[in-house]
Amino acid sequence: MKRMLAFISAILLFLGVDLAIAPRTASQTASKSEVVRVGILQMMTHPALDQIHHGVVAGLKEEGLITGKNLKIDFLNAQGDQSNLKTMSQQLANKDSLLVGIATPAAQALANSAPKTTPIILAGISTPAASGLVKSEAHPGGNITGTSGLNPVSKQFALLHAIMPRAKKIGIIYTSSDHGGQTNAHAFAQVVKRAGLIPKMYTIANTNDLQQVASQMVSQVDAIYAPQDNGVASAMKTLVNVANNANIPVFPCAETMMPDGGLASYVISQKEMGRIAGVMAAKVLRGKNPATYPVATVKSGYYMINEKEMRKLHIKIPAAIVRAARQNGKVIE
Amino acid sequence: MNLITSSIGQGLLWALLGIALFLTFRILNFADMTVEGTFPLGAAITVTAITKGVSPLVAILLGFLGGAAGGLITGLLYTKGNIPILLAGILVMTGCLSVNLRIMGGSNVSLLGQKTFFSAKIFQTLPRYFDSVLIGGGTIILITILIALFLETDLGQAFIVTGDNQMMARSLGINTENMTILGLTLSNGLVGLAGALIAQNNGYADANMGIGIIVIALASIIIGEVVFGYLTLNQRLIAVILGSIIYRFVLLIVLQLGFSTNDLNLISAIILAVCLMLPKLRHALKLDGILRKGVSQNGK
Repeated sequence: MKRMLAFISAILLFLGVDLAIAPRTASQTASKSEVVRVGILQMMTHPALDQIHHGVVAGLKEEGLITGKNLKIDFLNAQGDQSNLKTMSQQLANKDSLLVGIATPAAQALANSAPKTTPIILAGISTPAASGLVKSEAHPGGNITGTSGLNPVSKQFALLHAIMPRAKKIGIIYTSSDHGGQTNAHAFAQVVKRAGLIPKMYTIANTNDLQQVASQMVSQVDAIYAPQDNGVASAMKTLVNVANNANIPVFPCAETMMPDGGLASYVISQKEMGRIAGVMAAKVLRGKNPATYPVATVKSGYYMINEKEMRKLHIKIPAAIVRAARQNGKVIE
Repeated sequence: MNLITSSIGQGLLWALLGIALFLTFRILNFADMTVEGTFPLGAAITVTAITKGVSPLVAILLGFLGGAAGGLITGLLYTKGNIPILLAGILVMTGCLSVNLRIMGGSNVSLLGQKTFFSAKIFQTLPRYFDSVLIGGGTIILITILIALFLETDLGQAFIVTGDNQMMARSLGINTENMTILGLTLSNGLVGLAGALIAQNNGYADANMGIGIIVIALASIIIGEVVFGYLTLNQRLIAVILGSIIYRFVLLIVLQLGFSTNDLNLISAIILAVCLMLPKLRHALKLDGILRKGVSQNGK
């Protein structure tokens, strides 16, 4: 009991002291040293997110901000545990002059913890405006801007249609609790519908459901689209196995999903998206105002094709696409 | 300085979860997995309600009711359906995921730009992080007093006896099934309330925000018990709150020491395991005072 009272008094005493002196300490956080501090908060370890992170560092470097010289990066990864995001984002907000959020919850936690004067750069957030992070993509209006990672769904559908002109029913599978996957899946479904074909949506609660849902799906569709979805991405091999057994190709949306057995894709490099976010971060640090700095939607990408899958499924890819992939994209042999 | 205040604020907010789990984990003697579903449920309800224009206070109460409903279902599955408690909790937790997605109409709903409990004018004039200290502190004091008062009543005493000794409780004419249902409903209502508050503090609700929270709740309870030793029931409630603050301090220290955040989960697991083993270690190393031994074992 004594220990408890002592602890409570210590906390109250501390809070009292902090309350008394806080207003003065808060204003002196802005440092005038040569070294810029940038805080990066990443939601979890995941190939795509890791690449965005590397891209950000590369982008900063390109603009002359180099770690160890004039840049200090504080990197925190919440490992998928959202209960830590708040503590982590407050910690970063407290010492860094610019913050970078990778994945929606991380960016939201930063936006909510940082003072409105601290700029925040979004790295590959699917829907910045719908997530409440910016007023609109063209006029962010606050302290937040960055890159948006919406998939080029029209190009991806065009590719699918070019390779499989006779496919009528397109299966789309995503994790119901994955914000990015859901957004991407629905955007793709819209495009499919507009083209007069039938999108068929399938959801999984987690990767354990994939085998069963995919088995059901392959009996009802002609081709499968795998969106930017953490769950589907990590179980891509399972999906490809089930689909290939039924002779159905999988068209993934991300670079990292291709080597696991995707047939073809038009992808935006995650690293490129991070790089652009890094460049934007450097420009904001030099005084560009995030409120009037539009969110960059990275649209240009490149074709990727998987020749192993082509042979396995006996599918011919139009020569123009093969050429494009050879010249300016990637071919998996 | 700032960060310590922030940790205290976070500790006070999350303490609600510890207190809620204390009712089931320590008084009724089982670990209720439902909380990993009812926590995001409370968050989903409150955030959706706020975006629909409901006042933040009413939205928080709705979060409480949603959580309570989840707990009620677990209680019914356990007592009337004879499903083992661990499984009943997991079933409701799993089901909650779909319910949460339905409520939110997606997996993530943001509160940025909306009016929340934390955006009230009075808190804007205070130094940073004092909003969570005041709201967290105020809520936890209120809830703890209400729970302490409840446990003093006849109903509360019957609830405690149910956890202590079911057989004896039944011989005293206590309906232990109803007590268990009551405990689960109340506990999960508080979990929903915690979810509602924390979502407003974080500025969003996410379908995945319940993952791993049972560890946080257990950590508050266990750290509180280990650090503050033998206490009366009311004091134990306070120990849970302080345990929650200490847990945040530990996280802060780990982060400040510059450990890779990849190791964070392992580190908190180790800390928890050490805390759990501490009574045993103390005994083995004969660190226990003779006096305390005499009191605790009561002349055995």
